[in-house]
Amino acid sequence: MVLIVGGIVLIAVNVILLSITSKSQSTFGLGRVGISFVAPFQEIVTRSVRFTRGIWQNYFFLVSAAHENETLKKSLNQFVEKDNEWHEIGLANSRLRNLLNFQKAPTHRVVAAEVISKDPSGWFKTVIIDKGRSDGLQKGLPVVLPTGIAGQVIEVSGLYAKVMLIIDRNSAVDALVQRSRARGIIKGASADQCRFEFVLRKHDVQIGDTVIASGLDGVYPKGLRIGRVSDLSERSSDIFYEITVTPFVDYEKLEEVLVILHPKTQAFASQQ
Amino acid sequence: MRYGFYIGTCLFLIIIQTTLLAYFNVFAGMYDLLIPFVIFISICLPLRESLPFILILGLIMDNLSGSPFGLYLTFYFWLFVGVRWILKFLRVSNKFFLSLVVVAAVLIQNLLIIGTFGFVGPGWQLPAAALKNIIVQFFWALTTGPLFLFCLLAISKRFNVQLNGAAP
Repeated sequence: MVLIVGGIVLIAVNVILLSITSKSQSTFGLGRVGISFVAPFQEIVTRSVRFTRGIWQNYFFLVSAAHENETLKKSLNQFVEKDNEWHEIGLANSRLRNLLNFQKAPTHRVVAAEVISKDPSGWFKTVIIDKGRSDGLQKGLPVVLPTGIAGQVIEVSGLYAKVMLIIDRNSAVDALVQRSRARGIIKGASADQCRFEFVLRKHDVQIGDTVIASGLDGVYPKGLRIGRVSDLSERSSDIFYEITVTPFVDYEKLEEVLVILHPKTQAFASQQ
Repeated sequence: MRYGFYIGTCLFLIIIQTTLLAYFNVFAGMYDLLIPFVIFISICLPLRESLPFILILGLIMDNLSGSPFGLYLTFYFWLFVGVRWILKFLRVSNKFFLSLVVVAAVLIQNLLIIGTFGFVGPGWQLPAAALKNIIVQFFWALTTGPLFLFCLLAISKRFNVQLNGAAP
């Protein structure tokens, strides 16, 4: 009898604790222990695999690299032209900003990190990176790639950090459609796509539109690219669109990322 | 030495699951490789040794995953309790039964994860690929799970025979 009652109490406590941690993402301060213990081994294995793959790619794929080199040289020439054009636009922009007495656009300090492991479960989309508190990382910092937003730091240990990708179902990013400025929330769908929620149907949204961060969530700087609208539907009873966004970042091939350090934190650190 | 084997195996499985498998698309829908290991620990180690091991294992997996904290801890603990309870009625040598336990455990873990999605609030949605995820994991568990468990049991048996001259 005591055993049964004990079992029921244990199950009840267990369900309550799980419901609390599901809502708050709280780890009761225990979130770093496992990472600190396992991550060094993961790092060794990941680096070994990449090293082996690097040898394979470098020495056995030289022929295709030569072809690729030719193509890249052609692309580079085009980009040099574009770079010159953008340089001119940049100069014109700063002249005009000065005229309007605008503040200089903030430039972000970033820390480059390598992805050393992925989530053990297929249901959640997190990765562990090889930079931690000793490199200036802290909870809530945005993680990006040149192609777009990757996610945000959710747990930090001394030398490693856990990053929740924007395709995780717990992730939410305040976003805008770049062309029409229609605003909504990008939510992860645990697959390789995201849902773009709460976009009013009165706004103009089309398939192919680029979605960027609005900066209003206080995590991701404004203007960072997220993805492209890949599916759009309207239900007659609903005031919002049902939008699917395909992120620019390929999360299956995520190897290196950039963590943006908050300008405020830098100022604080420099004062200390 | 014996604990070294258990800790080494556990670490090896965690690393395989979180690093190596990610490089091979064919393993994209692999189930939690620690499930057969937890069953193996529940069978082979006495209560006072296996329970702390299971709890630490759950804690480590919770740390490495983006799941709600305590999910792996909960699952491994109840899997451990369940296996030990069932072993009162059935024999370890019953291979069909052990295979069934591995597959059932994989399915229950998936259901528990989906169950935690419901805690978030009334507006929760089941992930689009949920059914596919479960089916793929089910087939992986069906084909490799029992094999994996029997391998662990066989290695452990041989290891114990060499070490102590007795099987567990």
